[in-house]
Amino acid sequence: MSASHLGKTPLDIAKLRDAVRKRLPELLDTVRGKKGLILDPQLTGPLSLIAEISILKDHGVEKIYHLDDNILDTDCKNLIYICRPKLKYMKYIAAQIRKDRQDTSKRIEYSLFFVSQRTMLCERVLEEEGVLGDITLGEFAMEWIPFEDDLISMELDNSTWKELNLDGDTTAIHQAAKSLMKLQQIYGLFPRIIGKGDSAKALADMLIRMRREQAVVEEVSSSTSRQNPSLLNSLSTHIDQLVIIDRNVDLYTPLCTQLTYEGLIDEIFRIKHSFVELDPSLVGTAPAPGQSVSAQPAATPAGASAAVAAGKKKNYALNSGDKLFSQLCDLNFAVVGGLLNKIAKRINENYEERHQAKTMAQIRTFVGKLPDLQQEHQSLRTHTGIAEEIMSQTITDEFNRMLETQQNLVAGVDSNSEVDYIEELIDKQEPIVKVLRVLCLMSLVQGGLKAKVLEHFKREIIQTYGYEHIQTLYDLERLGLFNVRTSSNASRAAYANVRRTLRLIVNEVDEHNPADISYVYSGYAPLSVRLVQCAVQKISAGHAGGSVPGIGLLVNVVGGGSSGTIGSNQTASQNGGQDKTDKTTVTGWKGYEEILKLLPGAAVDEVQTVEAKNEREAKATAARAKRSLGSHHKKTTIVFFLGGCTFTEVSAIRFLAQQDEGVRDYLVATTQMINGSTLLESVIQSTPFDRGESVEQV
Amino acid sequence: MAPNPTSGWIQLQDRFYRKVEVYSLLWKQIELSKFIIAGAQYGGPIAMIRDDKKVLLLQNQQPIKPIIYIYSSAGKLLQQIQWDKGRIVAMGWTEQEQLVVAMEEGTIRMYNLDGEYTQFTLGKEAKEHGVTDCQIWGNGLVAMTGNYQLISVTNFEEPRPKQLADPGISEPPHCWTVILPQYTLSRHVEVLIATAATIIVVDGQDAVDQRLQGPFTKMAVSPNGKFLALFTSEGKLWVVSTDFQKNLSEFATKSGIPPQQLAWCGTDSVVLYWELSTSKIVLMIGPFGDWIKLSYDDAIYLIPEIDGVRVITADKCEFLQKVPSPTEEIFAIGSTSASAMLYDALDHFERKSPKADDNIRGIRAELGDAVDNCIEAAGHEFSEHYQRLLLKAAAFGKCFLDSYNAEQFVNMAQNLRVMNAVRYYDIGIPITYAQYQRLTPESLIDRLINRNHHLLAMRIASYLKIRTDRILIHWACAKIKASTEDEETICRAIVDKLSLNASLSYAEIAKTAYKAGQPRLATRLLDYEPRAADQVPLLISMQEDELSLVKAIESGDTDLVYLVIFHLKRKLPLGEFFRLVNNKPLACNLLQVYCKEQDRELLKDFYYQDDRRIESANLSLEESFGETDIVERISKLRIALKLYQDDRNHTFEAKMVEDSIKVLQLQTQLEKDLKESFVGLSISQTIHKCIILGQSSKAAKIKTDFKVTEKRFWWIKLQGLVETRDWEELEKFAKSKKSPIGYEPFVQECIKMRQFQEASKYIMKCEPAARPMLFVKIGAFREAAEQAFTNKDMATLREVRAKCPNSVVGQEVDNLIIQLDTK
Repeated sequence: MSASHLGKTPLDIAKLRDAVRKRLPELLDTVRGKKGLILDPQLTGPLSLIAEISILKDHGVEKIYHLDDNILDTDCKNLIYICRPKLKYMKYIAAQIRKDRQDTSKRIEYSLFFVSQRTMLCERVLEEEGVLGDITLGEFAMEWIPFEDDLISMELDNSTWKELNLDGDTTAIHQAAKSLMKLQQIYGLFPRIIGKGDSAKALADMLIRMRREQAVVEEVSSSTSRQNPSLLNSLSTHIDQLVIIDRNVDLYTPLCTQLTYEGLIDEIFRIKHSFVELDPSLVGTAPAPGQSVSAQPAATPAGASAAVAAGKKKNYALNSGDKLFSQLCDLNFAVVGGLLNKIAKRINENYEERHQAKTMAQIRTFVGKLPDLQQEHQSLRTHTGIAEEIMSQTITDEFNRMLETQQNLVAGVDSNSEVDYIEELIDKQEPIVKVLRVLCLMSLVQGGLKAKVLEHFKREIIQTYGYEHIQTLYDLERLGLFNVRTSSNASRAAYANVRRTLRLIVNEVDEHNPADISYVYSGYAPLSVRLVQCAVQKISAGHAGGSVPGIGLLVNVVGGGSSGTIGSNQTASQNGGQDKTDKTTVTGWKGYEEILKLLPGAAVDEVQTVEAKNEREAKATAARAKRSLGSHHKKTTIVFFLGGCTFTEVSAIRFLAQQDEGVRDYLVATTQMINGSTLLESVIQSTPFDRGESVEQV
Repeated sequence: MAPNPTSGWIQLQDRFYRKVEVYSLLWKQIELSKFIIAGAQYGGPIAMIRDDKKVLLLQNQQPIKPIIYIYSSAGKLLQQIQWDKGRIVAMGWTEQEQLVVAMEEGTIRMYNLDGEYTQFTLGKEAKEHGVTDCQIWGNGLVAMTGNYQLISVTNFEEPRPKQLADPGISEPPHCWTVILPQYTLSRHVEVLIATAATIIVVDGQDAVDQRLQGPFTKMAVSPNGKFLALFTSEGKLWVVSTDFQKNLSEFATKSGIPPQQLAWCGTDSVVLYWELSTSKIVLMIGPFGDWIKLSYDDAIYLIPEIDGVRVITADKCEFLQKVPSPTEEIFAIGSTSASAMLYDALDHFERKSPKADDNIRGIRAELGDAVDNCIEAAGHEFSEHYQRLLLKAAAFGKCFLDSYNAEQFVNMAQNLRVMNAVRYYDIGIPITYAQYQRLTPESLIDRLINRNHHLLAMRIASYLKIRTDRILIHWACAKIKASTEDEETICRAIVDKLSLNASLSYAEIAKTAYKAGQPRLATRLLDYEPRAADQVPLLISMQEDELSLVKAIESGDTDLVYLVIFHLKRKLPLGEFFRLVNNKPLACNLLQVYCKEQDRELLKDFYYQDDRRIESANLSLEESFGETDIVERISKLRIALKLYQDDRNHTFEAKMVEDSIKVLQLQTQLEKDLKESFVGLSISQTIHKCIILGQSSKAAKIKTDFKVTEKRFWWIKLQGLVETRDWEELEKFAKSKKSPIGYEPFVQECIKMRQFQEASKYIMKCEPAARPMLFVKIGAFREAAEQAFTNKDMATLREVRAKCPNSVVGQEVDNLIIQLDTK
């Protein structure tokens, strides 16, 4: 029953999961008998979305441990490690093997499966540690974790953005390229790849090169490809393009507080791999939909499942398996309360129907409906609880002042109160991440801070939060998030320009009947999704000429009326005759070059074609693919966020999908789900002192 | 005219078996009994070496050192390997037709047909006790050591010797065999050992005694892994299922001597071979206890195949199999099946006899099946004559069918052409149709390449429209190995041939060239490799340090870059290493990332040599926080300080680090004075702690020393005092001078602690406009209303009224509203 909410779109996302799901038992069966499973702590969440714990039990797993620097004392004769290829894990494993070796009475068989690919580097470390001969290596391909039919994630660590932009470590690009290649193998080549940002460019280049190289690999291993035909020789019949958004292009969006229901749950409770930890009183005793999945492979060592006593938080799965949640998740929080109220009334009415049930048949129908009703009831209780908890935060002055400040900043409303406000946050010793989030936002939208102000803040932060943050601030500066405003620095004007041309600020937002994506931030439209609109919906962009400042030129896109984005064709045709056909054909960035220039990083626009040599073959494959999947005219656009994506962005893209109903589907793919806090936490330094503390909290 | 197809048929109860002579062997009379022999499946080659346990007359021309001879099934010598290593205990073949040679001292060698080998050892146990016997199959082996332990290897590509459970025996077993992993329930290899009177089944976990009535002197597992044939010491042949649950058949041979070989012929009969000094007897026993006896003059060797058994005699290669059912239907004497009628009809037709028409009419209803049968039977036929006749019959029958899908016919014709080509004696692969189906054309082509039949492989591949890359690559490698020409010529020859295929991988060819001692040719060839990633490992081994790093970076695969970095680091002096890395940003970045986690000393060296002071400073700074010892910590900070000071752009950082040293010193002092821990706190936290501990003056001093802003100091003090509930001190503090943060925070903080009484003290000090709502917060609605009234703020007044729960107060508020209204 796990994640049965998948697989309802032409792309059939469920098959991504099923492939992994099938592999897991195979992998466990490579080792005979009872075994202990040692998991990368970062993978337990994703794995629990793929397979139930019973699968593990059925295949002889007796105990599950977390892979850390503790040496296990286990009586298992077989140990299976599943982890990402990280050096520290290799050291832990080596230490374990060496320790076990001392005890000659033990004879343990070790196997190690890398997610998703084994690396020569890890092999070398194992070799240097002198344990390579003791361990059987394998791979466990788990490129994508499907959350929803329109959302898949690689679930990398939260630090991807920082690795790419601060460390200059491009491993994630390579991983992303491999994972996207996997999609192309399944669905066929993306006919067009467009993107914005330097890393996006690097990724697109790598995809194109990999396709070329893949041809070599496949020719070499032709015998295997015959059994498992890959579609790399034909264009996808379902996907019209891939849009790559480099997180570094739009840092404004994650720094703002997310205002959708799911976004706020993330901001306040933190959603981890689509699970949220809740107080058991909120979850209730009856298993809610999807709840049974959430029994994460017992995290604590020595199978301390018994220790998961009352009082400890429970994991609750947030996905569309929970029908109520799927209604709520993308809504602006402002309307959630009312909706919950309405649903409560309806459920009550449904219960009341029992009084109308007179005949036996009527009673039987009522009883038949009961389980669903009860489940819905339980789900309602949980979400009401969550909403109340969120509400208790959103009504506070602190929350609203923060929101006001953020909105002033992104809207470009100048006032000095922001500086005072931030200073007060520091003075009150609010969490550093909260402070930096708004401070970085300020620096970003204003193209840096005045030297004096900057230094003042630096000083205040270091004195308040500790000297280790000398490095934090230095890193933020290198990332371009916390800079001095120089006279030559054009980025202040740049953001203002982008804001105007892409109409990032929409003043009238009707949260109940949103006409534009800006509802997700109550007035600010995520830049990243606006870019997607440019590329996909061909919203007509006015030229950001200096002569017409200040007025949103994209009125037609977001015009308050019901016509929404499809907008007034009148304006569109005035702007150079982009007619309706543009909505279905794919023309890349054409017409938006000027806007793209305002944003940092390179832009890519590549068309993938199939060589004539293979054309016949390709047509045949395409025909086959079409037969097997049924023909749909509706195409899917994949939006890939390199460096993470927020829940609001997902909601905004779902909103686009609604507007494009019948014309186009969207699939959001990301390296991981992030928000402003998780984004910055990867940069914020911690001392061993802090770390010790945080471990206790966990 | 080919002999009648039924001429070699032998009846065994209700079914027919046939013995087909495939080849007259090309070798000169070889006395098979004097050799250890291993035959590969799917019509593969035969390896043999003189059995040192058997007496052989020493002849003049015979070399003293033993030689492993590898022959094709047609007896053509493919390769001979001078054997100069230890005693061979067993030989076998892998799926890729590599010869596996197991040696007594625990080493396993794998030879390809070119005589090149790779080897691995079975580990300490095997070395100490020696290997006494070994069972080898397509992708693994199980070795038995001198102390009766079993060691298994289940993957020749990555051999990992694994000891199986202790079978618990102490004397040599009568015989033993394995059930291949793909046929066991657990998907792991199981070993069957016949010892004493029983059989022990051993796997990785445990050994289980089957408690049987033996002893068993010989056994064999059927090709599908389902049945086990056992030969008992009383001469009984017993067939059971491999899980010992089902008894299938028993047959008494009345021979006390165990057979030399016991082999399955397909999955339904067992062939036993006795090599007696007087005669060589082969006994084939069917499932229902019927038998056929065949005799040979000289020693023979049986090679079990999936659909029969290959019999190698001194001068012939024969194939013994159950007659495939389509063949039987057509050719069996007196068969009246539709397919037989069709075949007959063709004969009549060719002789212009009207009976042809009668025949076709008679089988009209089953004609489709009859055609299919003829096609199928053609596939099973070795004789080209009958293949043709059967296909003709099929084609003839096809004409009478309205819609017949000829795909099968075309495919079979293709298959037959391929099979006939490889069966040709010079190639010598007597593959059957069933084997060909199982093996797949791709693997067949691989086998041809391994025998260096590139041209044939190429032709078959293009005939079957299979990719030709592997063939070309292998050809190029073979060319390099064999060639004596200069590199220019070879390179041109190879590139000319291969350039038609643009995306072909050159890495392997280049590697071969390098191994063949032609590094320059290797470099030239490598330039043609389209995948940067594939160039790297070879470049590393070719000592092309810089180039390998450049190519690794080009590939974008960070793993590969790391690989090169570590290789270089280990190989080169540090300075040289840094010089190579320095001008390559990605390499530098990755080195830093790695070092931060694993090797900080290297990172320090790296920063130092590259004069990256700020990074060095940051590193020192970061390290200082890890130091528990204050002195160490300060000295690390001083290093950082020095480095920051050297850079004019980082005076701020320098100042901060200087401060941090001062703070540490201060905190140490505080710890001494107050017996509380301070080290590690920030300045704000230090002040906070002082306030909590009631050390206001110390707090004030820190404030001035570190120029803490008034506002921040007030906040900290306020929070500290509220936390300790020192209301008296708080009031004093509030009155000490005009608050730089206003008085609302005082109210708010008190409210947070639910001290409404205390909070109320400060409300009147706040801005008039804020007062009403603050009063509301502490539940003082009357005061709230009064303040709103004073402010003449109607909106707020109404809001207060709306929130007011108390009807008495509510009444008063209403009055105020009316008053304000009338004003």
